Amino acid sequence: MASFRHLILLLLYCDGMKTETTPSPQSDPVITTRKVVSKGQNQVTIEELAILKPQTIELSCYLTDIPNNPPYLTGYWTKDGKGIVNSEETVNRTNEQYILKKTFDILAKDLGNYSCIFKEIQTQVTFVLDVPVIKDKRDKPIVSYTGDSVVLACKLKQTPNTWNWYKANNTEKGLINVTANPLNYKIFIHGNETKLTVLNLTEEDSGKYICSAEFDIKPSESYIELKVLSYIEPLKPFIAIVLEVIVLVTLIFLWEKCNKPQNDNISAGENELCSEQISKLTRDDSNGVENNTARQRKLEH
Amino acid sequence: MEKPQKTQEEQQSSPQMAAPDGGWGWVVVGSLFVSSALVFGLIRSLGVFFVEFVQYFGESAQAVSWITSIGLAMQQLMSPVSAAASNVYGARPVVMMGGFLSGLGFILASQATSLLHLYLTMGLISGLGWALIFTPTVASVMQYFTLRRSLAMGLGFTGVGLASFAFSPLFQYLVEAYAWRGALLVLGGLSFNMIACGALIRPLGKPKVVVKAENSTKLNKCSSLFSRICEGFELALLSHRGFLTYSVAITLFNAGYFIPYVHLVAHSRHIGFNEYQAAFVISVTGVADIVGRVASGWFSDLGRMRMQHMLVVWTGLLGLSLMLIPVAVVYSGLLVVSVVYGFCAGAMTPLAFAVVPEIVGMERMLGALGLLQLIESIGGLLGAPLSGWLKDYTGMYTLSFIAAGSFLVLGMLVTMTLPYFWSCTAPPPPSPPMKKSQDESIEDGLLKQTLSSNSVPEILCPLDDIPYSDKE
Repeated sequence: MASFRHLILLLLYCDGMKTETTPSPQSDPVITTRKVVSKGQNQVTIEELAILKPQTIELSCYLTDIPNNPPYLTGYWTKDGKGIVNSEETVNRTNEQYILKKTFDILAKDLGNYSCIFKEIQTQVTFVLDVPVIKDKRDKPIVSYTGDSVVLACKLKQTPNTWNWYKANNTEKGLINVTANPLNYKIFIHGNETKLTVLNLTEEDSGKYICSAEFDIKPSESYIELKVLSYIEPLKPFIAIVLEVIVLVTLIFLWEKCNKPQNDNISAGENELCSEQISKLTRDDSNGVENNTARQRKLEH
Repeated sequence: MEKPQKTQEEQQSSPQMAAPDGGWGWVVVGSLFVSSALVFGLIRSLGVFFVEFVQYFGESAQAVSWITSIGLAMQQLMSPVSAAASNVYGARPVVMMGGFLSGLGFILASQATSLLHLYLTMGLISGLGWALIFTPTVASVMQYFTLRRSLAMGLGFTGVGLASFAFSPLFQYLVEAYAWRGALLVLGGLSFNMIACGALIRPLGKPKVVVKAENSTKLNKCSSLFSRICEGFELALLSHRGFLTYSVAITLFNAGYFIPYVHLVAHSRHIGFNEYQAAFVISVTGVADIVGRVASGWFSDLGRMRMQHMLVVWTGLLGLSLMLIPVAVVYSGLLVVSVVYGFCAGAMTPLAFAVVPEIVGMERMLGALGLLQLIESIGGLLGAPLSGWLKDYTGMYTLSFIAAGSFLVLGMLVTMTLPYFWSCTAPPPPSPPMKKSQDESIEDGLLKQTLSSNSVPEILCPLDDIPYSDKE
């Protein structure tokens, strides 16, 4: 069967990285090909491949621009750093190029880093085979309050078969079942993104939530941390600041009342606290003068 | 009958006119520093919350950006109200009330369950609070200083720039620690500090309308209330040629001033610089802005050039640098132009306020500030959407920057038509409407104003020596 598959392989020579699928007439599994072109020696190239379902994949390393153009090179394959037995091959030079290919059957357990290594020229091409990775910055936990609701979201470039949400308790994962808890959870799935709404938050809802994108080969997971606070938490700095403001305002007014009799000769307001006896005399005088002038003006008209 | 009246008026009005030029004045400058930080610095750093609002409420970024638009619009539209209230009650209680309102708005916003709640609380209530804080504080600083007015204003406004640097990381931390609800609550508490700032503004004398009410006898209570309101709002200013000219100029300034703040980052990314380079351009502009404020204030107080001439210089340079921004395609060139832009933008700000008493006189400065803010808001409302439309229409920011620059140059040209602009020395201080002993109606006030301005003695003394009294 393997040789039959090899026979129906078609390879196209184009620049860049391309994937072609070639359906076989006898409903054999399709084989995808991925190639990487590496120029020069002492190169390390890394290519990430998203694997959604079990498949057979042929990885090709094309080497060009090798100085001295030796007639042949030796290359071998490794998986996750460990050499694959019987993978060493001698590659002859064809039209200034050296081509090394190998076909792999990929199941869930076969996902990993596959590298073709050419010893003589220290060149390596690594294919990272993995399920699509959910790339979101999750280093800070999401914060919310008891009684409030919160939305946790996950997004991918590819569309999985479905999404599942789990709540992690230490080492266990508990599936979140919306039909069992319609009051507490809502799950929204739209193709390549999903949102979990947690309602009526309590402190027990804090913890790790895992969104899982289910693919044929293996689910891809990412976790979000949720922290539920009680309302007292932000009240503490708030009350501290309000107290500080009250103290400041009181101090400012007190200081002004203490300094007022020394600075102010003309009455511009009431004076109650400090040095009242001293100020009262001067104040009564000036008040009397002003009342007289006011009365005078009124009389004149 | 006239003379004894006038001496009593002198006694009543002179305490209001004394400008200490130091001492407690610096405390008021500190109050302006904190207030401008907690108002405009806070507004500038609200971007952190917008990301959270978009996610929580599921609304578009444009719908969320209306929160700041409403807040800023309230701050400018309510400025005349705030000025009028300060004319009636004095600056201190008005600013303290404003501090309370702005904090209250944020505290209520922390309980919001829809975007509309945020519009009403963060937009309307806090915006009103900001209006009640800003205009009286600026006016108080200007009352406390004559010789060093521009420097005091420049120093006070540095609060905005420094706050923009400090608040962004602080708000980010608050949102991460307490989520946006808790962060808004803490911000409300921080805004309450402006109550303390208001408490620091010791009144220099009785508020203007109270003084006027004591000086005259009111035969008719209704018309006295009406004239009190009109006095408070200083509506007589709308017929003052200098004021009208200046308000047109400042509207044009406002149309162009804010455009780069909105577009500079996007423009830097657009022509190919990465995130960090664009952020560095903004930081450099911000630092130049702060330096420009203080430097311009200090230099203008040296008295070498008249404030109006200096304003023309800075706005002309600012307009030129704006028009040069699209030309700078090399990173170092963009940095240089941005530094010049930041410096001139900062340099212009204290002068734009400090020149107001020179045009309308100390008496009416408070009302003038209120009305000016109201009128200049038109510029702000027109400028930003116009530049956005230009960008959408042409696909590049070039035209937006050129439009902004031309607004500023236009404003500069209008400034040159101010009365007494072309004289080498300061003009005589414009005299406010004469205080009358009988019923004050607006028509009489205007009549007296034109009469009194003609009979002002032609003493072209330096502005600072005259104690702004309106006696003939």
